[in-house]
Amino acid sequence: MDELNLGGISLKDLENVRINIGEVIDEEDEWEEMGPHPKPGIAGLRDWDFKLMERYKPFYAPYCEMCCFCTFGKCDLTGNKKGACGLRMDAQQARFVVIACLIGCSAHCGHARHMLHDLEEMFGKDYPIDFGPSIEIEAPLTRLVTGIKPKVLSDFEEVLEYIEEQVVQVMDSTHTGQEGAAIDYESKAFHLGMLDSLGKEVADIIQQVCFKLPIGADVPLVDMGLGCIDPEKPMILVIGHNVIPSTAIIDDLREKGLEDSVEIGGICCTALDTTRYSAKAKIVGSIGRQLRFIRSGMADVIVVDEQCIRADVLEQAINIKAPLIATNDKAMYGLQDRTNDPAEEIIDDLVSGKADGVVILDPEKVGKVVPKLALLMREKRKDIVTILSDEELFELVSSCMSCDANCVIACPQGLPIGKANKAAAAGDTQPLLELFDQCVGCGRCEQVCKQGIPIVDVMQKAALPYVKAEKTKCRVGRGPVLDTEIRNVGAPLVLGTIPGIVAIVGCGNYPNGTEDVYKIAKEFVERKYIVVTSGCGAMDIALYKDEDGKSLYEKYPGDFDGGCILNVGSCVSNAHIHGAAIKVAAIFAKRKLRGNYDEIADYILNRVGACGVAWGAMSQKAASIASGVNRIGIPVIIGPHGWKYRRAYLGRKDKPEDWEIFDARDGSRLITEPAPEHLLMACDTAEEAIPEIARLCMRPADNSPGRQVKMTHYLDLSMKYLGKYPDDWPVFIRGEADLPLAKKEELMKILEKDFGWKIDWDKKKILEGPMRKPDVSLDATNLERLIRTKEE
Amino acid sequence: MQPIPFDIGNIPGPEMGRLAEPYVIGNAIASAKRPLLVVGADILEDGLIDKAIVIGKKGVPIAATAHSIKGFIEKGYDGAVYMGLHELANFLKDPEWAGLDGEGGYDLVAVLGVKYYSCSQMLISLKNFATEPLVRIVSIDRYYHPNARLTFDNISRKNNDIFMKALDEVIARL
Repeated sequence: MDELNLGGISLKDLENVRINIGEVIDEEDEWEEMGPHPKPGIAGLRDWDFKLMERYKPFYAPYCEMCCFCTFGKCDLTGNKKGACGLRMDAQQARFVVIACLIGCSAHCGHARHMLHDLEEMFGKDYPIDFGPSIEIEAPLTRLVTGIKPKVLSDFEEVLEYIEEQVVQVMDSTHTGQEGAAIDYESKAFHLGMLDSLGKEVADIIQQVCFKLPIGADVPLVDMGLGCIDPEKPMILVIGHNVIPSTAIIDDLREKGLEDSVEIGGICCTALDTTRYSAKAKIVGSIGRQLRFIRSGMADVIVVDEQCIRADVLEQAINIKAPLIATNDKAMYGLQDRTNDPAEEIIDDLVSGKADGVVILDPEKVGKVVPKLALLMREKRKDIVTILSDEELFELVSSCMSCDANCVIACPQGLPIGKANKAAAAGDTQPLLELFDQCVGCGRCEQVCKQGIPIVDVMQKAALPYVKAEKTKCRVGRGPVLDTEIRNVGAPLVLGTIPGIVAIVGCGNYPNGTEDVYKIAKEFVERKYIVVTSGCGAMDIALYKDEDGKSLYEKYPGDFDGGCILNVGSCVSNAHIHGAAIKVAAIFAKRKLRGNYDEIADYILNRVGACGVAWGAMSQKAASIASGVNRIGIPVIIGPHGWKYRRAYLGRKDKPEDWEIFDARDGSRLITEPAPEHLLMACDTAEEAIPEIARLCMRPADNSPGRQVKMTHYLDLSMKYLGKYPDDWPVFIRGEADLPLAKKEELMKILEKDFGWKIDWDKKKILEGPMRKPDVSLDATNLERLIRTKEE
Repeated sequence: MQPIPFDIGNIPGPEMGRLAEPYVIGNAIASAKRPLLVVGADILEDGLIDKAIVIGKKGVPIAATAHSIKGFIEKGYDGAVYMGLHELANFLKDPEWAGLDGEGGYDLVAVLGVKYYSCSQMLISLKNFATEPLVRIVSIDRYYHPNARLTFDNISRKNNDIFMKALDEVIARL
């Protein structure tokens, strides 16, 4: 018997027979023919990676020229020298990228594993994975990468086991004396990026279905901002990414009827996921607000789970006399593990000050301890003032020597702190206030100030009117894009008449404050792109309002459609952005998903005009997120701090041979326009990034009306932000129908005069010039295996 | 005394940029066969763009990164070519690149008004990978740039006049 199908069997008259049952195959597991790459190993998609890198070659900008990994070293690799182990500088940079991706991927997948353990315990292993009638493709990445169609929670165990094995194998490859080629390290980084996206999908799906988090465009708007917390109420601050302890706190508050009388506010992705669970919870802000909000002293209890928490959170909590509850074994801060102690004892010790904080690893117990603790701490803390008085501010800024020697060079942004202090000492606090939003809230400045000025506190005091007024509305994360939405937008997206998907994701290490992400989102939503947001970027976009006092989330709908802005949720919800692109291939183009990664990535690269924007990318998670997005064929723009990731993937438009593709109809080869030209690049300013985003949304498969729309935006945005048409615009013109209607004649004249194209002015037609003609039937592919009939 | 990078933790390795007087850097630019001035959006502050235009008019081609090109257009100067910094760095390390004018690559790159940290990363990329043939890199910005071959020391913004004077000394050598 090869297979034993699910159902009943009876074996009569058997004694002393040992029966080994391997994997039980469900009939429904034959839901789709398995593709060529189920659960790919390190080398499984190497060919696809190499194809990407033939065009988008890795570009390295080392952050450090030394290698300090083994006792052969330190090795100086300057000038692309080899270290004692034989590894060159370029491969060392790629190795570093792999290590960053390992950390990032592990964070997301460790988070997923942690939640799966908890949720299986809470809801049972057989809890169904069911999103209802609007979503049939429940887990596009899981289907695509592993070939598994999950039906119950425990089906994800196999998915995570696969990821965990791959992570260990790639980690192994970074040991001294393993991989030696930069390009193979890059392929491993892509692999980790894909695993990262898969782990994120698991994490968000399981929390979504178990907690019945809202789905779709009609999710509520919630209060957000440093000023949205009612100072008269006890306040619980939750920080991190793993929402389960926060749900337990909310459950307890609901049970006791305290949801309206206790404030629960979050920082980072826990904030986003907490508001998905309860719209009465609030979003304090993104990572850049963390230190400053803690210093405001408003939190009566601080609860941390995992990722993006300040490592000195305990010290900060002690300073404001608020107890710290660490709920995750990955971040315990040296605190005593009180998981098995009675709740009352824990509360007593924290209220009395016997303990500054505790570890509680059982979410249910967190729920029992924290609300009561907040009420008691509120009583104890109600007279605590942590904001500086006017006199204290004056005294501190007056003590500044304006030396510019320490704080300015310690500041990641190089902010002119001394100059602002000097102005404040003369009575003008405006310069300090103006620095508030540009400051990333790291506190490095304070450690080096010779006068011991608490610069973060000084800036916060100066910005107090701004801080108090920071009250806005953010749309709750909505989870996956519906299959029905994909059916509506599939054609216009692939043809180009919806000009693109702009996905604004990631951390808050912005070069110039949070306003940039608002500007980027506003520009593209107004131009009818689909703007998708997640993570810190999703929150920061909400900080600015239009002339009617509305945030972008209040002004524009939350559908997956042109002219809409949808917040998918936290970092792990990023997987739904991949998922949407995958679903376009599956639902609109009827491509098979199962174990078919390279075909779907090839489809997305050539057809789905999407561009990721990680303007404030800071973390290792952002590195693995970008690598995953890149592997599936979506370009990403990062802000200028992103140079420090050491590596970009840059195309060369001056090398036409790099842009050769196949027409899958007959295997013929053709050179296309460089679309998208780059896979991963940094821009220095938002003004540079905005036209670039429009450019990177172009795809070879755009039809002429679609290309015309995309060119309209590319030219308009270049003119608006750079003061000129871009130099490369003719490259994207395949015929007169690609030209923006309003500028058609003007542009044809330029093509004739400056580029030597031949124009038939009577018929207003381009006769000669373009590198190729538009072809609506072109079946563009980079994969030879997809060619249906080989060219003779 | 060892200079301190403007971003204090930006210590790349054993080879750190050498402090140089403005006239020395000016001479280095003047002696290059194919120099290129790379500017960023910070030239739109403190009148730096006027200095860049003077350098351009002395025959040094300008690559205008970020949105600095807008400043040149507003000033009516058409000698600058727009290009993203990342893309430009990728081109500069390729000995076969045709250059901004189709005449080939550059043997010296000078930077001015580019965001400090992205500029530093661009310089370190050239330092390590634009080696055959060698592209020499110098900074005429207000920062100590450890990844440039020749660089000024940090000049505080409150001493802007000193910085402007230094730029004038560079220009005088061109």
